[in-house]
Amino acid sequence: MDFATPLVLLSGCVGFGEEYTRVAGFSHHEVGAVCLKGTTLQPRLGNPAHRVFETPAGMLNAIGLQNPGARYVVDKILPTLDFSETRFIANLSGSTVEEYYQVARIFDNSPIDALEINISCPNVKQGGVQFGNDPEMSARVVEVCRKATNKPIITKLSPNQTDIAHNARRCIEAGTDGLAVINTLTGMAIDIEARTPVIGNNQGGLSGPAIKPIALLKTHQVYQMCKPYKVPIIGQGGITTANDAIEFLIAGASGVGIGTALFYNPLVCASINAGIVEYLQRHKLTNVSELIGSLQLHEASAAPCG
Amino acid sequence: MNRKPHRNTIVVEGAPVLAHTGHAGAQHIIRLHAPQIAQRALPGSFVHLQCDPYLPMRRPISIMRVDAKAGWVEFLYKVVGHGTQLLSQRKIGESLSLLGPIGVPFILHAERPRPLLIGGGVGIPPMVFMADHIRLHHPGFKPLVIMGSEVPFPFQTQPSKIMLPGIPDGVIACMPLLEDWGIASRLASLQAYPGCFDGYVTELARAWLNTLDPSQRQQVEIYSCGPQPMLAAVAKLAAEFALPCQVSLEEYMACAVGGCAGCTVKIQTPEGPYMKRVCVDGPVFDAYQVFGN
Repeated sequence: MDFATPLVLLSGCVGFGEEYTRVAGFSHHEVGAVCLKGTTLQPRLGNPAHRVFETPAGMLNAIGLQNPGARYVVDKILPTLDFSETRFIANLSGSTVEEYYQVARIFDNSPIDALEINISCPNVKQGGVQFGNDPEMSARVVEVCRKATNKPIITKLSPNQTDIAHNARRCIEAGTDGLAVINTLTGMAIDIEARTPVIGNNQGGLSGPAIKPIALLKTHQVYQMCKPYKVPIIGQGGITTANDAIEFLIAGASGVGIGTALFYNPLVCASINAGIVEYLQRHKLTNVSELIGSLQLHEASAAPCG
Repeated sequence: MNRKPHRNTIVVEGAPVLAHTGHAGAQHIIRLHAPQIAQRALPGSFVHLQCDPYLPMRRPISIMRVDAKAGWVEFLYKVVGHGTQLLSQRKIGESLSLLGPIGVPFILHAERPRPLLIGGGVGIPPMVFMADHIRLHHPGFKPLVIMGSEVPFPFQTQPSKIMLPGIPDGVIACMPLLEDWGIASRLASLQAYPGCFDGYVTELARAWLNTLDPSQRQQVEIYSCGPQPMLAAVAKLAAEFALPCQVSLEEYMACAVGGCAGCTVKIQTPEGPYMKRVCVDGPVFDAYQVFGN
């Protein structure tokens, strides 16, 4: 699957695809793909307030997968999207492996371009442990989705685990076509007057520039593992400028996700694209692909700690 | 036919600060040059503005006044946290990024020409905008504006020359700007400010509503913005008098264009509860859907 630009608008930031087109000057043509909001089998109301809160160089969110259900998305929302403007990717979530399968089946029979699996959901049959924090559970979800569809599958990896590269390998073995690295890190903020968490769900996902160095390293770790399999990565986590995007491409990402940066500047994609083009020209490169994974590591002296 | 009427309704504008004044109670009034937003805004609209170049997350702030001809928009805000603290330091000539206008505005109805506007604290601005809009576009309407504040009002109050039945003796303080526009206003506070009603905005509103005869009362619609407990009381008052009521809500916001669903509130509908986004489904909602009653 090819994208018109390496930019991908991230799930949870752009609703079901049309929301940002409210802003004059915003265009889907600026991005290679748009990931729609996380979708479950049944409609969900989501979490109580507050759902978002700014933290240093980032923000916490806990929306709680508010969505109208997969059937509604396919029947009522997808027909309103203009697939000539960009590619649209569904984002699948579930509480059980069976739910992922059913949601994938529903999207399989739709014009959607690809399926992104959000494995950072609690498995209600395994004591609420997130699928994505356990490589075997992650692989199991990918496996059933693979059976459910021939469309490209992108698995969104969680940073909240010991060895993300191992998890990536298990997902590749289970049949994923691509990887999204990384989902948000879990975090909390406390209202010291009320002595309660600020976020209604108590904890939330941390995004924004604060997580960029973590995301960059994880992207590179996953890239080193993926390289022999030729599985592409959409690198993401705190990208707000063209230089950020270029770092992720050099680290091994084939595409770069834009999320929180849109909240800062809804028109940021045009400037990121322009910055990437300027960089390519300055370095006499003809294509972004020449940048991917071009990182030259320093000669590593084995530094076990710090 | 335009199948996507929502497209291109919000603009990003670099807006130089034209005026910025501090008032008691950590309140500030800022006027910015933003001609496109001034042209498009309606009462209830808000902007999502960058308080400081080094604080990238924007803050939603409701619009108090616009001058479409001169191309400016004006806001009243109170310093409540880091963002508004940084905003209060912006100087004349500095430029801020504004995203707006955003949101479903208040709707006036021809059959209800006696709008009762109730604003509390930093909920006052949309009521001023609404009063200005009524003055310019609904000259036959007879609005009454009631404002409440527990810090000194961010304007010099003055005795009103507009007589109002049902308003207790001595409650004569008004907002000069509204008075100049020929729009009746009265003020309420628990702080014993001179000329102000000593009590809640809803008590003052009830006193006024009680003096109206039933046919006059049928011409009233309530519009309100302010703290949640005040809005709940306003909604209850509306229910008591069987009056339609629109309220403007606030919530922490990330995108402000409907993308993140971070700012939702629970709304009751005949089909059951819905989580609606304050940014683009609101900020103005039917009070009965928000508070029941």
